[in-house]
Amino acid sequence: MSVRSGGNYTIGMVGAGGIANSHLPSWLSLGADLVVFSLEGAPELVRRHGGGSVVGSLDQLLDACDAVDVCTPTYTHAEIVCRAAAAGRQVFCEKPLARTSVDARAAIDACVQAGVQLYPGHVVRYFPEFVAMHDAVRAGAVGEVAVQRFSRTGSAPSQPWFLDETLSGGLVMDQSIHDLDFARWNAGEVATVFARQTIAPGPDVVRSCQVILTHSNGALSYVSGTWARPGTTFRTRFEVAGTNGLLQHDSRDHQPLMVDGGVVDDSGTGLLPATPFVESPYLTEIREIYTAFRGGPPPRVTAEDGYQAVRIAEAAVASLSTGRAIQLDPEEGVVR
Amino acid sequence: MKIAIMSFAHLHAVSYVRCLQALGVELTASDPDHVDRPAGEAGGPALAAELGVPYVDSYAELLEGKPDGVVVCSENAKHRELVELAAAAGAHVLCEKPIATTLADARAMIDACAASNVNLMIAYPVRFSPAFAALKGSLESGALGTPVAVTGTNNGQIPLDQRAWFVDPELAGGGSLTDHTVHVADLLDSLFDSARASSVYATTNKIMHAGKVEVETGGLVSIRYDNGVSATIDCSWSKPPSYPTWGGLTLQLVGTRGIADMDAFSQRVDGHSESTGNGVWLSYGTNSDAVLVAEFVSSIAEGRAPQPDGEVGYRTLQIVAAGYESVRTGQPVSLAPIRSET
Repeated sequence: MSVRSGGNYTIGMVGAGGIANSHLPSWLSLGADLVVFSLEGAPELVRRHGGGSVVGSLDQLLDACDAVDVCTPTYTHAEIVCRAAAAGRQVFCEKPLARTSVDARAAIDACVQAGVQLYPGHVVRYFPEFVAMHDAVRAGAVGEVAVQRFSRTGSAPSQPWFLDETLSGGLVMDQSIHDLDFARWNAGEVATVFARQTIAPGPDVVRSCQVILTHSNGALSYVSGTWARPGTTFRTRFEVAGTNGLLQHDSRDHQPLMVDGGVVDDSGTGLLPATPFVESPYLTEIREIYTAFRGGPPPRVTAEDGYQAVRIAEAAVASLSTGRAIQLDPEEGVVR
Repeated sequence: MKIAIMSFAHLHAVSYVRCLQALGVELTASDPDHVDRPAGEAGGPALAAELGVPYVDSYAELLEGKPDGVVVCSENAKHRELVELAAAAGAHVLCEKPIATTLADARAMIDACAASNVNLMIAYPVRFSPAFAALKGSLESGALGTPVAVTGTNNGQIPLDQRAWFVDPELAGGGSLTDHTVHVADLLDSLFDSARASSVYATTNKIMHAGKVEVETGGLVSIRYDNGVSATIDCSWSKPPSYPTWGGLTLQLVGTRGIADMDAFSQRVDGHSESTGNGVWLSYGTNSDAVLVAEFVSSIAEGRAPQPDGEVGYRTLQIVAAGYESVRTGQPVSLAPIRSET
């Protein structure tokens, strides 16, 4: 690993799109320096958030940073992770870790060989309602998990690459992967994946996917995802039922403050959830990653978790194309 | 108008009796199998007396009274026998759901009623919920656009404590997949009008109440309809035994122009009671059982065929049967084209 000498800890952010706008302020608030490289939007990004400097190439970025935050479109993740690893930089990569499980494994192997840390950005593991639920499940509040449901609904993304399944992996790989990861975190390794998807014809990009997981221990998970029409309020729901209880949450139902101004607001909250009155889960996430990068304890989500999430989503996509339930090889579920 | 109650095995009979009494129809009941039930399970002449319903000892005697209609509330596996008796006696039938435990029985029941020229209605009360009617209206008006996907839940407490037969694979036909798939399937049958289920995938488990019952207690059923909609139903008996109410039914419909969320039992007062050490759950609003029963009675008085009919009962049971086949094979099951009866 090449080590940069002197100076403040510097994050090299690659990409300047939607998720970069959530990550960059978190890094800044933690006191890191930022350099940003992006094919487009980097000057606007740093201007918008009042921090960071723009560099002109990935090589310049790698020379100038201690760790890389990969915020580019999914299909570029693995290549950039491998470049960062080759330069000896720690890596934080927005989910999905890669477009395919083969690429995800290659990215992990590159980081292992280079001796650098690699963490995927599964931010739902940092949302306080999900954390409260997971901690309670771990503490036995519902007994043995039997049936879980997760639902995630928001406006369809406007950037075209999200809607191109070869680039993003589609709704399952981009959106539902959050809940597929969480379902596995709660109920363990997945044995079987079945999925259906409906993409509405016509000018609307409205689409829904429904994924059913059977875990190795027999627990069942249902994950539904929707990219809805513009203006749709972002909403998550979950229910976890077990042998001794039930936990449920609907983001629509737990609002600490609601103001009725008598005006219909059609703006919605788009692709990313609003998180009022709590610390930004992106900040919680990035603080944990930052701590690990600087020698602290490892974060709650590992590169292997990122790989497994891609593998489950990939099985769901395979189920969509074949119409069959897909069995996952249990040996692949073992942490290497 | 004379209505006869055949069996108290399904405790919905109690609700139907009260609704029928409120309508002022003449009621009689028979529940000869009550002697075979486990100790402590209400039934027979004692329950009839408690409800204020005249009681006779046998179904033959009950049908000799020439009822205009009967309500069949037996164990699922006994529906066919009682429906055939009623049809032979010329009585219109309201049969508790699911229609039967096998498709052959269901078809025989439909045929028997058709041969006797009597109606066969299946007791799917949620279809008569005003919330569902409003949802259907929203879809039909175009306000939701084209339907894309549906998630339905019908989760409840395991119905073990009141009636042991619900967890008897022979008498009930199965566990939660049998008990709780059909209500949502009926709503989708109504919402999608002429669209039919074309493929069913299901997975089940026995984690909850393991060791106490043989049947499945958790289940997810995925249905593809031939209008392109994919629907998933959580049919699990996943409400804990101490939950403040029996359970509930929800349906989320994603359309191209909007997302509708229906909670059929959302009208309630919540609270907490120190005396019970549990949540308070005071339901109010329309009693869908009353609307269902009123439709059955009106259809007889007006000489017309009510919905949901035996064919809906058959189609919803087909989804259950395909679900069990899918559980057995681990793969989705294609449904044969629905046999047309008209």
